[in-house]
Amino acid sequence: MIQANRYAQEPTSLTLRCLGPDCTVGSSGDLEDAELDTDFSFSCYAQLEVDGSQHSLTCAFDDPEINSTNLEFEICDSLVGVNCMNFNKLQEEKYFIKTKKFLMIGKSKICVKFREENLACKRVEIVHIVKPEAPFDLKVIYRQRANDFEVTFNTSHLQKKYVKKLMHDVAYCHEKDGNNWMHMNITNTRLTLPQRKLQSDAMYEIKVRSIPDSDYYKGFWSDWSPSSHFKTPDSAEEMNPVLLTIGVTSFFSVVLLVILACALWKKRIKPIIWPSLPDHKKTLEQLCKKPEKNFNVSFNPESFLDCQIHKVDDIQSRDEVENFLQDTLSPQLQESEKQGLTGSRPGPNWPSQSPVITTETFKGELPFGRPAGNVSASNASMLPSLWAPGCREGISSGSPVYQDLLLSPGTTDSAMLQPFPHQPGILTLNPDVQGQPILTSLRQNQEEAYVTMSSFYKNQ
Amino acid sequence: MFHVSFRYIFGIPPLILVLLPVTSSNCHLKDKEGKGFENVILISIDELDRMLAIDSNCLKKEPNYFRKHSCGDKKEAAFLNRAAYKLEQFVKMNITVDFELHLLTVSQGTLKLINCTKEETVSKEPKKNDRCFLKTLVQKIKTCWNKILRGR
Repeated sequence: MIQANRYAQEPTSLTLRCLGPDCTVGSSGDLEDAELDTDFSFSCYAQLEVDGSQHSLTCAFDDPEINSTNLEFEICDSLVGVNCMNFNKLQEEKYFIKTKKFLMIGKSKICVKFREENLACKRVEIVHIVKPEAPFDLKVIYRQRANDFEVTFNTSHLQKKYVKKLMHDVAYCHEKDGNNWMHMNITNTRLTLPQRKLQSDAMYEIKVRSIPDSDYYKGFWSDWSPSSHFKTPDSAEEMNPVLLTIGVTSFFSVVLLVILACALWKKRIKPIIWPSLPDHKKTLEQLCKKPEKNFNVSFNPESFLDCQIHKVDDIQSRDEVENFLQDTLSPQLQESEKQGLTGSRPGPNWPSQSPVITTETFKGELPFGRPAGNVSASNASMLPSLWAPGCREGISSGSPVYQDLLLSPGTTDSAMLQPFPHQPGILTLNPDVQGQPILTSLRQNQEEAYVTMSSFYKNQ
Repeated sequence: MFHVSFRYIFGIPPLILVLLPVTSSNCHLKDKEGKGFENVILISIDELDRMLAIDSNCLKKEPNYFRKHSCGDKKEAAFLNRAAYKLEQFVKMNITVDFELHLLTVSQGTLKLINCTKEETVSKEPKKNDRCFLKTLVQKIKTCWNKILRGR
């Protein structure tokens, strides 16, 4: 700023004030010396179509402490239909003008005037000091499926004819971070904020402002829009209720399966997964019916005996047989058994040695301790005993022992001597009639049984 | 015979020299990129076109003025300059304030973007209610501007 000296002979002095390349000359007779040194620099901004088709221009001094009394602003050039226009003074030391007469082509001159004196002037292009209007209607919507926030806002410049293209600055911050603002520049009025860029369960503040973005219109940032607040969802709340239900149901199902598995492990599951190999001996023992208590079964081949089958004619009463046995059984049986035991095979006179007990020869007490009684046996040989299907055992000798249909009280196990416990009657044997074929069959059976048992033993 | 040859030798050539500046164009375009036209003048032209709701037959009858003054090659700036001055004559039609403003925006804006060394002489004023002429004039200005911008 250049200031000329005051001369004594001249009541007023010329003041040359320059703001950059622009200089104006004016008299400063009414100004104090202090005011001459004041910096009257000022700044202006224009808003086009702010009120319908009317534009506005606002200017203010850079130094807020300037005494703006009697100071005015004036704009000249690049106006439609007029040469110059004066500003209106507002409160807060601002100067304002609203008009449609901005040509918006070429430069205009804005001056600070004190009465009729220009204190400071500035040549500006109105289209280069444009300040857009602040955006409004800022909204933030959370989209759960997309996991993002949709930010939308509105601006009045969408319906304007001159300043249409704007650049928008969207700023957001975490309320706890204070002034750590994040900025995003966009050209349209819609923005998408991914949720991953934001903290969960946090409150955010967001606002937006605009600036001209074209080759012809330029200027300054608009005022910030009214702030909007939004809260990000909690990560725990993001869980879908359907998924939560499925998860809980699955958990309880697994627990139930584990309990059932533990309970049914031994009985059902383990035999299927790890079946035990069967033991043949035990299996057979289980399958076979267990005889009476004292009847021990053994698969020892040495204990195998042949069971002889004798054909019988009729069945007599039991009592008679018992009496008969008491009288004649004991001595005759011993002799016959000795003969039978000495040989491995019965001799041809076997039938004669058969313990056919008659009433005549049978004397003495029976080994059972019964007195000899009348035994009304028939002439036919009686069979004092017909063993049960089970063969007698207990003989420890190695030679095969034939257990005929006779008693052998001396050597037999007393427990086995049960001649007629199960039979109400008695089967009579007629060896004279059927002795030979029976003996032959018996012999064959003995041989077959002997072979069979031995072969079975060999196979084992 | 001798005095006749002198007339032709010393009379006509100077006359030609004097008349040459009249026929040459003394205007040139400042805004060669056409930004002023696209962002300001074109908007006012469209507003004037909208306000001048005239019968389409109007444009078929081209006035004689445009036969004399056309947007010829290398004469675009001169035509626009002349057309801008012509446009100001319609300000007194008193249609509406906005109409007047747009009219002046087109006129003064064009003159701002064109630099002519010689001022244009104001021709005969048209009829005040000759809307058809006005509409044709506005369309001619728009067409001439587009021709300039296409030729960039």
